[in-house]
Amino acid sequence: MNNAVYILLIAPFIGAALAYILGKFKQPLAFWTAEITGAVLFLASVVIFMKYSNVPINFDLNWIHYGNFTIPFGIYIDHLSIVMLLIATGLGFLDIHFAHDYMGEDPDQPRYYSKVLFFIGGMILLVITKDLIGAFVGWEFMGLASYALISFWYYKKSAADAGMQAFLYTRFGDIFILAAIALLMIFVGTTNLVQLNHLADAGQINKTLALVTALFVFMGAIGKSGQFPLYPWLMNAMEGPTTVSALIHGATMVNSGIYIVARMFDFFAYTEALFIVANVAALSAFIGSTSALVQKEIKKILAYSTMSHLSIAFVGLGVGSLAAGMLHLVNHAIFKALLFLAAGAVIYIAHHTKDAWKLGGLIKTAPFLALFFAMGSLSLAGVPPFSGFFSKEMVVSAAWEWGNGFTATLVTIAALLSIAYITRLWILIFLGEPRNEDVAGSVHKPSNIWMRLPLGILAFTTLFISIWQSDIVHYIVGKEVVEPEVEGLTAFMLTSMLIIFLIVVGLYVKGLNLLYKIASHHFVQTIHQVLFNGYYVEAMITWISKNIFVNAIAKAARWFDTYVIDYMVNSTVAMSLYTFKFFKMGHSGRIGTYMGQMVIGVAIIVIAILIIVKGL
Amino acid sequence: MVAVDIIFAPIFLSALVYFLTRGAQHITKYVALAWFVVLFIISLNWLNQIMHPESYAFAPEVLQYIKATGFLPLGEFLSVPAFGFSLTLQIDALSVAMLLLTAGLLILVVFTSWEEKNQAAYFSLLILFSGPIFGVFMTTNVLWFFMFWELTLVPMLFLVGFWGAEGVEIKKVFNVEIKLPSKVYAAIKFFLYTHVFAMFMFVGFFLLFKQTGYWDITLIKEATLATPALIWWLMFLGFAAKLPTFPFHTWLPDAHVQAPSSISVLLAGVLLKMGAYGLIRFTVELLPATTAKFAMWMVVLGLATTFFAGLLAVYERHIKKMVAYSSISHMGLVVVAVATMSYDGLSAALYEMIGHALVISPLFLIAGWLHHKTHTWYMDEMGGIMKYAPYASTTFILAGMAALGLPGTMGFVGELTIIISSVKAFGWWIAVIALAGFISAGYIIWAVRRAIHGEPSEIVKKANFHMSFPEKFALAVFSFLIVYFGVNPQPIFDIANKAFSFFGGM
Repeated sequence: MNNAVYILLIAPFIGAALAYILGKFKQPLAFWTAEITGAVLFLASVVIFMKYSNVPINFDLNWIHYGNFTIPFGIYIDHLSIVMLLIATGLGFLDIHFAHDYMGEDPDQPRYYSKVLFFIGGMILLVITKDLIGAFVGWEFMGLASYALISFWYYKKSAADAGMQAFLYTRFGDIFILAAIALLMIFVGTTNLVQLNHLADAGQINKTLALVTALFVFMGAIGKSGQFPLYPWLMNAMEGPTTVSALIHGATMVNSGIYIVARMFDFFAYTEALFIVANVAALSAFIGSTSALVQKEIKKILAYSTMSHLSIAFVGLGVGSLAAGMLHLVNHAIFKALLFLAAGAVIYIAHHTKDAWKLGGLIKTAPFLALFFAMGSLSLAGVPPFSGFFSKEMVVSAAWEWGNGFTATLVTIAALLSIAYITRLWILIFLGEPRNEDVAGSVHKPSNIWMRLPLGILAFTTLFISIWQSDIVHYIVGKEVVEPEVEGLTAFMLTSMLIIFLIVVGLYVKGLNLLYKIASHHFVQTIHQVLFNGYYVEAMITWISKNIFVNAIAKAARWFDTYVIDYMVNSTVAMSLYTFKFFKMGHSGRIGTYMGQMVIGVAIIVIAILIIVKGL
Repeated sequence: MVAVDIIFAPIFLSALVYFLTRGAQHITKYVALAWFVVLFIISLNWLNQIMHPESYAFAPEVLQYIKATGFLPLGEFLSVPAFGFSLTLQIDALSVAMLLLTAGLLILVVFTSWEEKNQAAYFSLLILFSGPIFGVFMTTNVLWFFMFWELTLVPMLFLVGFWGAEGVEIKKVFNVEIKLPSKVYAAIKFFLYTHVFAMFMFVGFFLLFKQTGYWDITLIKEATLATPALIWWLMFLGFAAKLPTFPFHTWLPDAHVQAPSSISVLLAGVLLKMGAYGLIRFTVELLPATTAKFAMWMVVLGLATTFFAGLLAVYERHIKKMVAYSSISHMGLVVVAVATMSYDGLSAALYEMIGHALVISPLFLIAGWLHHKTHTWYMDEMGGIMKYAPYASTTFILAGMAALGLPGTMGFVGELTIIISSVKAFGWWIAVIALAGFISAGYIIWAVRRAIHGEPSEIVKKANFHMSFPEKFALAVFSFLIVYFGVNPQPIFDIANKAFSFFGGM
């Protein structure tokens, strides 16, 4: 089993290097290296899963000894890590497999596969390390990989901008984790995540310190998992290849914020931080689900839905139910990967058309794709018996039971709205008549083994994983969980969903004219604009960073540097020149001046002698 | 005798080499390379002797001395008994780390300036530079330290002033117009600035002698000083200008930008380190009690340097100036780490000094190389370079990631250890230096966005991005070291721990 751990740690990076080098040698080798590495990683995870015997795998290694400090680099694998490992490597493998066709025509495949493997390595590192420092290393590796993959087509302005934005937004959250590491290291004496939980359980940490560090870590999670207010990067990240969006910005990396909160759950629960987590997340869930209603691009709809569903998982954690949050994370990862890959297939067969309004009627060309997409959608919408139903239900009930009406209302709205936007998306893509002649003419069928197979596997999983929902909860939490029961909630949710579903179907299938009429109303248009632009949070952050940070503070620093500090330095030239000129006045060449100077000089000497001799 | 030879031999060697190879200029660089490799090997040998003195056949009293003080005695030369004055050469782990860094950078600099103009003179000056810079790190006599300190300026003055970039500098102050070729302006400013501030240091050194009667820092006791505060400030000014700290930093962007890239590497990698070395050696180690009194000043100056230079880098369009400000910003972190005056803080400072040298060098090299190829300094006029020069672009991104402190590189280890040590020394509020990691991300990522990513501009499309093999090799070495010591930093920390073990611990 230890060998499997070493493989998980090292293989992705070796694979990344090999994929690049071999790929430069012969293009298809890059794919095959990645495919094999992905399979090996998944197998290693499965081996750990099978052989795991209720005792966490625990390595204590030391990384740096400096001064009197030791910076540890331990490995700790328990049930939570194994679940995350299976998600990361399993979805990673399927994603690489899917990319065979999707990225098949790209000339830069070695670079692509190398970055993807590097990303998987970062994710594995995050979920198997024992210390916050190790987790931070994996966390930043993923950030780098995400940046590099969003900007994969770096010669496109939009992709380059999106990459920069993603890096800076997430980095802003990350520096808080760095600060938290330093604070924990000094004031608690450890960054060991397991030990922090134990100390919190025993009540041995200063409450204020715990609250501050928990919020700092949550700040990092906000950046990484696209919560309010650092979410706009997630929408622009859709500039990257769709396979990247599926893996990184749908299924795995964005979960890392939830993972880190779940990993430090007792530590968070010890402070008041969970209250803030729940409320920030509820707000984000609401923002995400409402904005998803009006987007045009397929991937943006999915991105907002990702944000909203991550928030639902966060709410689960925030209201104190580790089980609900983690269960939703697992289910969401699977159906969101399915939806993104299906969307990738749609985009691929429609020749990189991303605008849902330009598609339509694809059910005739790709019926299986429509079916798989529908299965993902049903799971996302929370329709029984798909897995999404169970976890969403659990989070919403837990939220109502928690007793904060604001949080519970927002998360319920978000949960209900998911059926609206996903139905709308499915209808726009698959039903009706093709809306754009050029796109419709060139649509072709997806291939079986490279595209339909991974989609089929994921669709199958999202349906049948429902059977084991309580087992998963039990596996992660380690004890029997009393499922929260709120009377009549299920009935209410299902009825509301049916009504919303019927309204959306009615509007988009039969009543497009009515829809246009409503949309042309001035008030509706204003709301539409606000939602479409994600509540203008991006515009606000851009304004602040551009006009306050760069063009005011940095510019002032520049002005001060040039016109005060450096001016003083250069003025020494002028000063020495003027001093020189002052003394030069004596060299006038006129006898009278020299005589005068001599008299003054003699006078000074005489006075000096007198003073000295007279004795002071 | 080896010790004194390698300090003074370059003076004769450089003159000799210049006259012998003037007719066959392509040979000079091989002589220089050979000489620097010799220096590197000698330094390595010294490192071994200091780290494991037991395994060498030292006389018992020498061994005793090494164990007690940490210094490896290399002899006393040119004694003037009347003043108790002599060139005392002794090195400890800190000096030997600096020697290795210097020799290593000099070797790499030969590769990066493989195609430099007027090679006989250029490489002779480099050889000449190697003498006094070794002297600075090897002597414990304050007056000789000062002499070597000043001597390093001379070859640098000519290297910047003659081989620098083209351009005219016009400055107007109090109705006086300064109009000079940029490189001359930069060289003179660099020389005068550091020279003037060295004068404060010089006065401080004489006061040291006057009040204690010793020239050698290993013999001077802080308690015997009459005016330790005055001496401390005089010496601190000299080092602060060299480092540089805010507000004594304005010479650096000019000098680094106008110097040829390889010389920028030496300026940033070695000359700035003289300031940090002096700070550790002459303030923290020599006058610990006084330093403790003024430590808060150092912290404030260090933080001001870090953030002020970081902001300047954010606003900068000029690619090499951006790198120069980034360099200043990182030296600010070193000052904060030194100010902790603790075993761990100083170790972190030494690590960051080496990390800074290795990280900032490829950035300078590529910035200069891009200017050389595109004939523009401005990042917004470049764009899409990744497509035409993937090798240089990738190295730039890697080094940039190290500069912003990404794990897996030297930058992260330096930042992490410094933030931990300073939180320990100064309390929770100093965690604000984590923000430096965001500001550096700002300017690095924005620079990458403007110069490397994006649509190729007309200037870039027309340029010919050929890179010679030695340059590629040097960049590869830098990249390798950044990642290697970033993943496995312990070798450097072993030296650092050895150097500062007297500060408690062990």
